[in-house]
Amino acid sequence: MWKRVATETGSIWITKGKYQLRLRSFTPAATFTFPQQPSIRTSTSTSAAKPTPPKHDWNRAVSEAERIVGYPTSFLSLRWLLSDEIANVALHLRKLVGSNHPLLKTAKHLLYNGKNTMQAWGLIVLLISKAAGHAPSVPDMEQDKSAGVLHSQRALAEVTEMIRISHLVHNSLVNLQPSSEAGKDTATYEDMAFGNKIGLLTGDYLLGHSSAELANLRNQEVVELISSAVRDFSESQFVGERDEQNNPLPYKPGTEPPKTNGTATTESIDFDVNDVMIPMNISKVLGNPEKEWECRNILNAGSLLGKACQGALKLAGQSEDMQRQAYLFGKHLSLAWQACLDAEPFQSATLPIDTTFSLVSAPVLYHLEYDPSLYEEIEKGQVSVENIDYAKIHKAISAGPGLEKTKVLQRKHTTAAMEVLEKFPPTDARTALENIILAMQDL
Amino acid sequence: MACLSTSGRRGLYVVVGTRNQLTQKQLGQLFWQQKIGRSFSSSAAVAAALLGKTTANNISTLLPQRNFHGVGVVMQRNTAITAGQDYFANLHTNTACNSSSSTTTTTTAPTTINSSNINNNNNKSSNSTIITAQNCRQYSSVHTQQPAGPVREIQIDPYIILDDDLKYFYDDVRDLLRQGTSQTELDKIASYYFDGQGKALRPMVTMLMARAINYHLNKESSNLLHKQRFIALFSEMVHSASLVHDDVIDQSDIRRGKPSVNALWNHKKVTMAGDYILSIASIMIARLKSDDVTIVLSQILTDLVQGEFMQLGSKETENERFAHYLTKTYRKTASLIANALKATAVIAEADENIAELAFQYGRNVGLAFQLVDDMLDFVSTAETMGKPTAADLKLGLATAPVLFACEKYPELNPMIMRRFSEPGDVERAFELVHKSHGLEQTRFLAKKHCIEAIRLAQELTESPYQKGLQVVADLVINRLK
Repeated sequence: MWKRVATETGSIWITKGKYQLRLRSFTPAATFTFPQQPSIRTSTSTSAAKPTPPKHDWNRAVSEAERIVGYPTSFLSLRWLLSDEIANVALHLRKLVGSNHPLLKTAKHLLYNGKNTMQAWGLIVLLISKAAGHAPSVPDMEQDKSAGVLHSQRALAEVTEMIRISHLVHNSLVNLQPSSEAGKDTATYEDMAFGNKIGLLTGDYLLGHSSAELANLRNQEVVELISSAVRDFSESQFVGERDEQNNPLPYKPGTEPPKTNGTATTESIDFDVNDVMIPMNISKVLGNPEKEWECRNILNAGSLLGKACQGALKLAGQSEDMQRQAYLFGKHLSLAWQACLDAEPFQSATLPIDTTFSLVSAPVLYHLEYDPSLYEEIEKGQVSVENIDYAKIHKAISAGPGLEKTKVLQRKHTTAAMEVLEKFPPTDARTALENIILAMQDL
Repeated sequence: MACLSTSGRRGLYVVVGTRNQLTQKQLGQLFWQQKIGRSFSSSAAVAAALLGKTTANNISTLLPQRNFHGVGVVMQRNTAITAGQDYFANLHTNTACNSSSSTTTTTTAPTTINSSNINNNNNKSSNSTIITAQNCRQYSSVHTQQPAGPVREIQIDPYIILDDDLKYFYDDVRDLLRQGTSQTELDKIASYYFDGQGKALRPMVTMLMARAINYHLNKESSNLLHKQRFIALFSEMVHSASLVHDDVIDQSDIRRGKPSVNALWNHKKVTMAGDYILSIASIMIARLKSDDVTIVLSQILTDLVQGEFMQLGSKETENERFAHYLTKTYRKTASLIANALKATAVIAEADENIAELAFQYGRNVGLAFQLVDDMLDFVSTAETMGKPTAADLKLGLATAPVLFACEKYPELNPMIMRRFSEPGDVERAFELVHKSHGLEQTRFLAKKHCIEAIRLAQELTESPYQKGLQVVADLVINRLK
C-alpha cells in the first residue's frame, strides 16, 4: 500500500518497470562514494526491523490521508509517462547503470525510500488545503467537489514535489573540478560527466515545468513565494564549510561566528514576512547548535513545505493570518521530520557498515557543543567526508547527550505543528494530519 | 563572408567601452557641462569612448580579426553620438592595424568635447577620443565604409539609442542578485557573467521592441517602460543561467575570454547558482503582477530545457535531421528572444496581432542569430569569439553548416551519427564544411530570416526604435562575434 502512495510523483519510474528493475539489480548495496544529504540516504531496513509495531502506523495514516484528498497528485504521473523528455532521461539513465554516479542512488531513493524522504509533501499540501477550506468567493469551476480541494491547489502540490525532486537531483551531481579527486579520476570521468549532464537537465526540466505550472495558477503572489523557496534551496548549499563534494561540515566550535548584522542571536530567525526577496540571515546563528540546525533545515526543506502550504491557502483566498499559520505548520512539520531522520542512525548501538550520516545532523551538532574535541575527527573531512571515521563519531555521540537532545528537538517541533493544527476547524483532513504527525513521532 | 561593415558592431565596442562605470559618470558629467539635454523618454545623447582599462582589451581583440579577415583598411569608430532624435555621429578611422595609438580624429559638429582631458585624468593613453553631438533633425547619419553588403544610407546604432535603458543594466542585475542572498559565494558565482562583457543582445532587442511597440501604440509612459525593462532583465538573467548550466554540462574552460564558472567553482555550487539566478528572475517577473506575462515567459524555460534534451539525441535521416536542428535552435535560442519580445507587447496591452508580430520578429532574429553563431564556429578565431572554435563539432553536434555540407559529402553522415567521436573526425568534418558551400548556405538561410524580421519590423509605425529593429537584423547577419 505504501509504495503506491509513497511514489506519487515517482510512479513513472515504477511504470517504466523494466528500467527500474535493472536499476535495482545492477547497483547492489552501493558503497557511499559520494554521500548525500541524510534525507535521501538513510536506510529503510532499520525502521522495518523494529521489534514492536508502533502504536500509530505510518502506512495507515498516509493511506487514510490519501483517501481524504482523493487521488494523490492529479495526473502528473500520466503526463510524465507521455513526455518525450522523461522517456529520454530514462533512456540515458540506463547508460549510467553500473557507474557509481550518485544520481542513480537519488533516483533509487526517490522510488523505494518514500517513507524516509517524506515523499508525501504533495499530500501534506493537499491536506492542509482541505483542512483550511476555501473562501466562498472561489467559483465552482475551480473546485474539485469530491476531494474538497481546488484544482489550483492540486497543481501547487505537484509543483512542490517537482521542485523538491529537482533540488535532490541537482544535488546529486558530482563536482568534477580538475582540483577535486573525482575530477582527477580519469577512469570514471566520462561516466560522471555524462551523469552530471543528465542530472542537471532533469533537474532543469522539473524546474522549467514547475515554473510553467506555477504561471498557469495565475496568482503572482504564489509564484513569488514558491520562487523564493527555490532560492532558499540554492542558498542552503552554500551555508558553512564544505568538502570537495560540497558535503556540509559543522561550524568549528569555539570560533567566533562571522558577525554581519549586529551580534549573534539566540532568537529564532525566520524569513521576513513582508518581503520574500530578503534572504535568511543565517550567519547570525552559526555555532549555536539548535539555531544553526534549524536554519540549515529551513533553507533545505522547511522553506518549500511551509511556503507551499502558505501558497495553497493563498490560492483559496484565506486570510493572511491563516496563511501564516499554514507556513508555520509546514515549517515545523518538516523540521520535526528532519529531526526524526537525523536521530535514526543513532538509534542502533553500532553503525552498520558503509553507512554514513550527515555531519550537520542534530546529534552531531549537539555533541560538538557538549564535547568540542570531536571536531578533531570531523576536521579530517575537510577535503572529503569519506576520510572521516564515522564509526568513531557514532560511538562518541551514542555515549553523549546528542540523541536525547535531538528527541527533545523533534518533540518541540511536533508540538508546535500540533498547536498550529488546533487553529484549524476539526475536519477529517485535520485528523489525518494529526495522525501523520503522531505516526512520525513513533518511527 | 563576414565583413566589418555595420556601425552597429562597432557600436558594440563603443558600448562595451562605456560599461566602465567611472567612464560613464565622467562622460555624463561632461555632457551636463556642455548642456546637452538628456531626458528619459527621448533617447539621450551619448558619447562613448574607449577609455582606461578597456582600451587595451578592445584593441587586442580587434587586431586578430583584421588579420584573419584580411581587410586592409579597418575602420574603428571610437566615438558615436546620438541625441535622441537629434542625431549626429562622427567617426574616425584607424587605418593602421598595428598602430592602435595613431587614431585619426575628425570633428565636424559644433559641440565637441575633446576627450584628451578625460585621458589625462584616466591614463596616459594616446588614444584620443572624440565626442560630438549636433542638433540636426535627423535620425541617423553614420556613414561607414562597406566592403560588402547592401549600402545602408540610414544607420542607427541600437546600442546608442537605448543607452538609457542599457547603461546601468548589468549593475541592476547584480544589485538584484546581491539582494536575494546572504551567501557571498553564491552572489559571486551568480553575478560572474554579468560583468558587462557580454553582447547584451537579448535585452537590447527586447528594449527596442518595447519602445517600438510603445511608440506604435502611442503609450510612451515611463512606468510601462520600467516594467518592460524588467522583461529585458529577465531575458538576460535566464540567458546567463543557461550559460552557467551549460558550462557544467559542456565542461568548457573558457567563456567570453575568461575562465568559465565551472573552472573556478565547485560544480554543485555552480548548478545551484544557476537555479538561484532563475529563482530571482522569476520573483522579479512575478512582481510585475501580470499573469499573462508570467505565462509567456515561463514558456522560455520549458523550451530551453527541451532544446537541451533534443541536443542529446540525433535523428537518422537527413530530412528529419534538419527539422530537428531547426526546432532545437528555436527552443534553445529563438524562443527566449521571441517570448521576451512578445511579453513586452503583452504588458503594453497590445492586441494579439502585435504580440504575434513581436514574437515572429524575435523568432526570426533568434534563428538568424544562432545560424550565424553556428557559422562563426567554423570561420572565426578563438580570440574573437572568446571561446574555442569548432566547439560544436568537438561536442559532437552537427549544426547547419555540417548538415548542408553533408548533401555534397555524404561521408559526413556516419560521422554525424557517431557524433564525431573517432579520432580525426572533427578535423575531417571541419575541412569538408569549408570545401562545401555549407557556410554560404547557412548564411543564406540566416539572411532569409533577417529579411523576414525586417519585413515584420516595417509593419510597426516608423520610429527610431522601429528603424533600430531593422538595423539589428542586419547586425545579426554581419556580426563577427
